[in-house]
Amino acid sequence: MRILIIEDETKVANFIKKGLEEEHYAVDTAPDGEAGLYMAEVNEYDLIVLDLMIPKIDGWEVLRRIRSSKNFVPILVLTAKDTAEDIVRGLDSGCDDYLTKPFEFKVFLARIRALLRREGTVKEPFLKVSDLTLSPITHKVIRGTKEIELTSKEYALLEYFMRNPNKVLTRTMISEHVWDYHFDSMTNVIDVYVNYLRKKIDKGFEPKLIRTLRGVGYILSAERQNLKKG
Amino acid sequence: MYFRSLRFKLTLWYVFILGILLISFSGFLYFTLSNSLYRDADKKLRSLAELISSESTSPLFKFGFGNIDQALETAMNFKPIGKFIQVLDESGRIGKKSENLKNVQLPITLNALRNATNGLITFETNRSFENIPLRIITFPVKENNQVVQIIQIASSLEDVEDALNTLLIILLVTVPSALMIASLGGQFLANRALKPVDRIAQTARMITSQNLNQRIQTLKVKDEISRLIDTFNEMISRLDRSFRQIKQFTTDASHELKTPLTILKGEVEVALRKKREAHEYEQVLESNLEEIDRMSKIIEDLLLLSKADIGEVRLQKEDINLTRFINDLVEQMKILAQPKNIKIETSNHHEEIHILGDSLRMRELFINLIDNGIKYSEEGGFLRITLSTEVHSREKSPFSLMEREETHYAKITILDHGIGIAKEDQEMIFNRFFRVDKARSREQGGSGLGLSICKWIVESHQGDITVESELGKGSSFTVRLPLYPH
Repeated sequence: MRILIIEDETKVANFIKKGLEEEHYAVDTAPDGEAGLYMAEVNEYDLIVLDLMIPKIDGWEVLRRIRSSKNFVPILVLTAKDTAEDIVRGLDSGCDDYLTKPFEFKVFLARIRALLRREGTVKEPFLKVSDLTLSPITHKVIRGTKEIELTSKEYALLEYFMRNPNKVLTRTMISEHVWDYHFDSMTNVIDVYVNYLRKKIDKGFEPKLIRTLRGVGYILSAERQNLKKG
Repeated sequence: MYFRSLRFKLTLWYVFILGILLISFSGFLYFTLSNSLYRDADKKLRSLAELISSESTSPLFKFGFGNIDQALETAMNFKPIGKFIQVLDESGRIGKKSENLKNVQLPITLNALRNATNGLITFETNRSFENIPLRIITFPVKENNQVVQIIQIASSLEDVEDALNTLLIILLVTVPSALMIASLGGQFLANRALKPVDRIAQTARMITSQNLNQRIQTLKVKDEISRLIDTFNEMISRLDRSFRQIKQFTTDASHELKTPLTILKGEVEVALRKKREAHEYEQVLESNLEEIDRMSKIIEDLLLLSKADIGEVRLQKEDINLTRFINDLVEQMKILAQPKNIKIETSNHHEEIHILGDSLRMRELFINLIDNGIKYSEEGGFLRITLSTEVHSREKSPFSLMEREETHYAKITILDHGIGIAKEDQEMIFNRFFRVDKARSREQGGSGLGLSICKWIVESHQGDITVESELGKGSSFTVRLPLYPH
């Protein structure tokens, strides 16, 4: 899951980025409204964390412009503005959640999980495909009865697959949602990681869940027939 | 409550004054009228008496008993209606009488008789005659300066007294009722005039710090009340402004403190989420220390400013040799300028400049300004600090146009060639927590209060501070402080 942080306070952006990355999210940061809007436009994010008092274009305007361009990415406003008027105005301007600074990092993470859950088709707190389950809270992955150890990137990749089951995911989509903007999508890193993941979750289990569609991308599905392009 | 109200007092005064006016007017009217009526009656009696006595054919000359009416009618073709006439001889014996007296006679007082024998006319009012009020003239008729007879003519005063009584009744009825009506009208007018006062009071009572945007509705007519309303509204506006400023300041201050707090909390929470290497903890602690220092600086500056606001900061003013002071300071500041390879030049006035100031505050002032110059200059730039004097002359008072007061100022200019300040920001930079570039200012460790403190220091020394700047070219801060003459 890829998250954009629009925050002018470098240190705040840095610790959020660090904390989120340790939770296997891919994180980009933008230091002002202008850069933030640009990045939100060219990349596809699963969630945006937005500060309101930011230079060049302020947070209210960023919010307005993102929504008026029919982009309905979940937006979590994270700001020091804590009056009731501000919170009401923020939620009414189209943000999905509003958290005031200073904040509890645990709460911040839980709200992000809730927002991501709300957006997807899966409303349960954990993700499940066939006998494979993944918990975004504890990061535990279980196939059948066996707990599977994954590296951070493998976990992020699997979470993306499991949030979009039965959908064809192209390499571009995967690179956009699992890696941050430093990633060079021309390499075969994605294929390498998909193979690592396959070895860990499909080897020795039936049915095989991850399949390659040659020239297109990958799909995670329990049923062989269901090959609709998502 | 009502009896103490302004409208009651107004009405009372109004009725009181009107009452005095009406009563004196009524009295005047009554007495003038009664006077004129009585005089009129007397005049008629006298002219009749004169007429009768002057006539040579008058039946008076033949004294005797009998009816005088007939005699008068035949002699003078005169029929006195409503008059009682009787003729007496000089010793007071009654002779002829008019018919309407029948068998009674007009009363005659001793006084009147004595007057008459002495040749004097007497007017008397008599109420004892058959319940009719009478006005009686006792008139001596002379012949060769000798009183020969006395004529008494009386006329009834009933008409006069009736008229006067009617007038009195009218006045007794109309004056109080006029006063009643006037008091009602006065109350109505007072109510009408004072109604806006109630509205003002009502609005004023409703205004608290929460609804200072409310105003009292203004009147169409520009009168005293509307001036009062305008004054009230202006006062509310002023309150509103200062409340807003305080609110803004509180918001800014809390926001300034929240940012380092967010960083402290966030960094520590993220660090504690799992076991880490020692150097990672070190990094967090170092960063935390930075934030704590920043918070201390903000709090210190805030405390200083709020103390300054209520006038609790005492200045220890002493004679400062500004030339030496600035030069020493610049030497110290050069260490700070070194990492960015910035040169600081000073150009001194030809003679030493002295001011009266608090050296600690002066240090703070110039360190702040020079430090800003260094922070906002590019690498390898330079600052120029110029010391000079300036004379300001102004009229001593508006009444003595010729007398001019001259104040000598020390003028210190700190010029940098840094990023400059946009025109629209220039007047804001002395405001608390105003930052042209928030991120940059925080990175440099500023509290956002530095220039506010500079402004306070300069103003508490009776000086002023101004800025000239052009975006991209640099800024020049000028401080003027009154010279201390030697």
